[in-house]
Amino acid sequence: MPRLFPWLQAAPLALVLAVFLLVPVAMLVIVSFYDYDSFSLIPAFVLTNYREVFASFVTWQTYLKTLYFAGITWAVTLGLGFWLAYFLAFVVQNQTLRTVLFVLCTVPFWTSNLIRMIAWVPFLGRNGILNGTLLATGVIKEPLEFLLFSDFSVILAFVHLYTLFMVVPIFNTMMRIDRRLLEAARDMGAGFWQTLWCVILPLCKPGIGIGSIFVVVLVMGDFATVRLMSGGQSASVGLMIANQIGLMQYPAAAANAVVLLAMVLLMVGAMLRVIDIRKEL
Amino acid sequence: MRADVELIGVTKRYGAAVAVDGISLAIPPASYCCLLGPSGCGKTSTLRMIAGHESISDGDILLAGRNVTNLPPAARGTAMMFQSYALFPHLTALENIAFGLRMRGMGKAERLARAAEFLRLVQLEKMADRLPTQLSGGQQQRVALARALITSPKVLLLDEPLSALDPFLRTQMREELKRLQRELGITFIHVTHGQEEAMALSDIAVVMDQGRIAQAAPPREIFEKPASAFVARFIGGHNVLELPQGRFAVRTDRTRLAPAPAGGGPHLSGHVTAVEYQGSAVRVVVQARDGQTAEALLPDSLFHASPVAPGEAATLGWEAQEAHPLPRDAA
Amino acid sequence: MTETKTSLTRRGALALAGAAVGSGAITGFPTLWAQNIRNITLRQLGTGVSGLNPIAEQVKKDLGFTLQMTVTDTDAVAQRAATQSRSFDIADIEYFSIKKVYPTGVMQPIDTKRIRLADKIVPIFTTGRLTAESVIAQGTSPYSVGFVESKDAKGFASARTELMTLLPTIYNADTLGIRPDLVGRPITQWKDLLDPAFKGKASILNIPGIGIMDAAMVAESAGLVKYADKGNMTRAEIDKTIAFLIEAKKAGQFRAFWKTFDESVNLMASGEVVIQSMWSPAVTAVRSRGIPCVYQPLAEGYRAWGSGLGLMKHLSGLELDAAYEYLNWYLSGWVGAFLNRQGYYSAVLDTAKTFMTENEWGYWMEGKPAVSDIIAPDGKVMEKAGAKRDGGSFLERMGRVVCWNSVMSEDRYMVQKWNEFIAA
Repeated sequence: MPRLFPWLQAAPLALVLAVFLLVPVAMLVIVSFYDYDSFSLIPAFVLTNYREVFASFVTWQTYLKTLYFAGITWAVTLGLGFWLAYFLAFVVQNQTLRTVLFVLCTVPFWTSNLIRMIAWVPFLGRNGILNGTLLATGVIKEPLEFLLFSDFSVILAFVHLYTLFMVVPIFNTMMRIDRRLLEAARDMGAGFWQTLWCVILPLCKPGIGIGSIFVVVLVMGDFATVRLMSGGQSASVGLMIANQIGLMQYPAAAANAVVLLAMVLLMVGAMLRVIDIRKEL
Repeated sequence: MRADVELIGVTKRYGAAVAVDGISLAIPPASYCCLLGPSGCGKTSTLRMIAGHESISDGDILLAGRNVTNLPPAARGTAMMFQSYALFPHLTALENIAFGLRMRGMGKAERLARAAEFLRLVQLEKMADRLPTQLSGGQQQRVALARALITSPKVLLLDEPLSALDPFLRTQMREELKRLQRELGITFIHVTHGQEEAMALSDIAVVMDQGRIAQAAPPREIFEKPASAFVARFIGGHNVLELPQGRFAVRTDRTRLAPAPAGGGPHLSGHVTAVEYQGSAVRVVVQARDGQTAEALLPDSLFHASPVAPGEAATLGWEAQEAHPLPRDAA
Repeated sequence: MTETKTSLTRRGALALAGAAVGSGAITGFPTLWAQNIRNITLRQLGTGVSGLNPIAEQVKKDLGFTLQMTVTDTDAVAQRAATQSRSFDIADIEYFSIKKVYPTGVMQPIDTKRIRLADKIVPIFTTGRLTAESVIAQGTSPYSVGFVESKDAKGFASARTELMTLLPTIYNADTLGIRPDLVGRPITQWKDLLDPAFKGKASILNIPGIGIMDAAMVAESAGLVKYADKGNMTRAEIDKTIAFLIEAKKAGQFRAFWKTFDESVNLMASGEVVIQSMWSPAVTAVRSRGIPCVYQPLAEGYRAWGSGLGLMKHLSGLELDAAYEYLNWYLSGWVGAFLNRQGYYSAVLDTAKTFMTENEWGYWMEGKPAVSDIIAPDGKVMEKAGAKRDGGSFLERMGRVVCWNSVMSEDRYMVQKWNEFIAA
């Protein structure tokens, strides 16, 4: 009985994980091998769904595009997130001000995706505030079309949304850095950039790792932001899956989902090899 | 002789609060100096101002005759060993020690070789590749010491370096610090709140109280001629007594139990409130009729020859020349 | 037509006021209700187009039982109907969806003998022709998937039978919406969407099944492709259609592709787009902001859509009786007037007419100039006196439908190609 006890303690969580994670993923994998017509799923073991994923030029293009969004968004959110976290952790000393600034960072989440996108239109649109201002100040002669419904606006929206996911974990690791380490570095002749590069950055690695996983996974799985901000002109894997689900092509969607899942897992695995996030946990 | 470190009217204010109040001090070359005092006395602020980690509100600091008041830490020729060491957790012992050289742009091979020498100096050559978390407290301390020394500072600043160690290790490290200081021939400034540590180590001890220097002198002088009641009390081993002739400090080991006033010599009568056996000595506490307490530290043989017990009447006496007059200050 | 939840609030508000307008004069109801009918709850799954709370409230008032509505988008309705059919009782679903859903065997046919006004239903649904002369439009026409031979049939009947798959409830004719103030010239044909003058200012909707139809209307109008059946294209036709779309996209013709009602309203209202696929209420929504917008009738005709109510297989007994009562009530006029007033059309026109004012009937159904202001259900003036409905009367609009929203045999291939277009 005492031997059984630890198993019993682990059982509820194991059960929840099994029912809500393992079983659905297993179903996904199984369905990805099914055949289908426009009316129903046909239980079978066919490779057509995967063949369509890998053989199609569009799929490759879409995966590349998704990676492109993920890559650029990651780089920009990392740059922005690191300095915002730095500002919050090392420059702002007042706890209340820090909290207020954090709440400000969550503003993008106060409304729905659709409303947020619609809100960008009067700002970035052809007749929007930004174009209006630039025209009025004579910086440009013609409205800038690339501001809205473009890769630029997609990445802008991603950055706007996901920088917070980078800021929070990096901020957390920064707050844990013993301030005496910075003094010690300074004592040994380190300047601002040397301290940043040799002390702060290495110690923030777990936070950067967690933030990167958040951002990359979120962008890879996105379908709403890409669709809304590109004005439907760009594809993403998530959008492709959503389209297939919309037309009840579940096996095709499942195959795509499995491929996407495998890809994201590989990326996360690669990140974990570079950065030991267990330090953070 | 030019002093290694010279403080001139150095003041540190935090808003309205004054942490260090216009202190002046000259530390002779190659000496071991302890800053001693209760917490909040300003000793750590003073050390940090010398190191350059705290701005100086007023006054000047000279190192080897050069005014360093506005120089950054690394330009002063000082190095600091932090309390609880502040080793970089992501770097190995060797890399930690090499850090200062790395910041100066020394090549990797060269700086690691130099660091290995310093690791040998602190007898940790086997621990080169360990991370700080894989080292014991004593080992961490040696790494911190080596890290501070590798840039060849003229003055080494130590912020309570021994406080995190257990008593046995503390004594051992104390000897080692003193040996190193002698061998390197540079000035060590060491902040501590333990008078025993200060006595054991310093060539010059600086007792601080409320942001001011209460006394700066060799330990023997401080012990034999405390400058104030505060110093006498803080340094320990003294009775501070208010007598009709004035205020005096009398060493407890020079105080004796006297059966009766010996020839009208100085004495204090009352009853015994405590008797403590300390091995080679016995401590007897006496409360006088006017409420003052004083104690005598008696060699065990002397005590056992005529023992007393708590509650008994007793008189403490001492030779007149043992009574060191104290100024009547606020303390 | 796809509708998302976001637009529901506004529609709900429209509809709520509509409920106050409609009077409660119900005749011929109900028949043999046991007292326990009040305990019945029917669960209806549908889109925001007709999944409106005032309808449920009116059901409670007129019929006594509870109608519980769940609203989601077109695709999700079809998905849930096919995969979780027991989670609701009545599907408010589009005809092109039913083409996929009915054969999965999750529904039961509607016995027209139990529908009192079955013969009054607009003939589009019963004969496929609005008038004797009109041709049957391409695509998944409601008529082609409206009937089955028997209770267990999985295929659709080729002609009218006594068993309906769906009871038609709401339908409309779609065309392009334009900003008359910004296009700068009369728009007369679908191919005007491709006019280089509108480069970077055009849009079509990004729901593959519907978007491809609008694209086909444009391609055919421009003389690029000739289709045997736009609603059921061959692979070659799909290839050609997508190729022209990609070409237009690469040339920068499109500003955006939209998927939801609100997106389309916003694109038009902000002036980002001046000509695009649009839905009738979206045009009204743009106009209600004081921005000119026309639902432009075009020479080639309209693309139409329709939806209806279907009974799920598990319904039986008293609940089935209640469901039939509900279907009969749906045709009895109140809902018809309620939907007509929002610019849609209802299945039985005569009964709806009795619930509308003469001015409303004239404006919405007969294409006559409004004699007094047309008031939106929320009390705002929708159209000033003198205004005429874009496209004119019911007959002019529904009579010129050339194609219905559809599901193609090459559906799978089409979606692949559509994704190619979006990714291009």
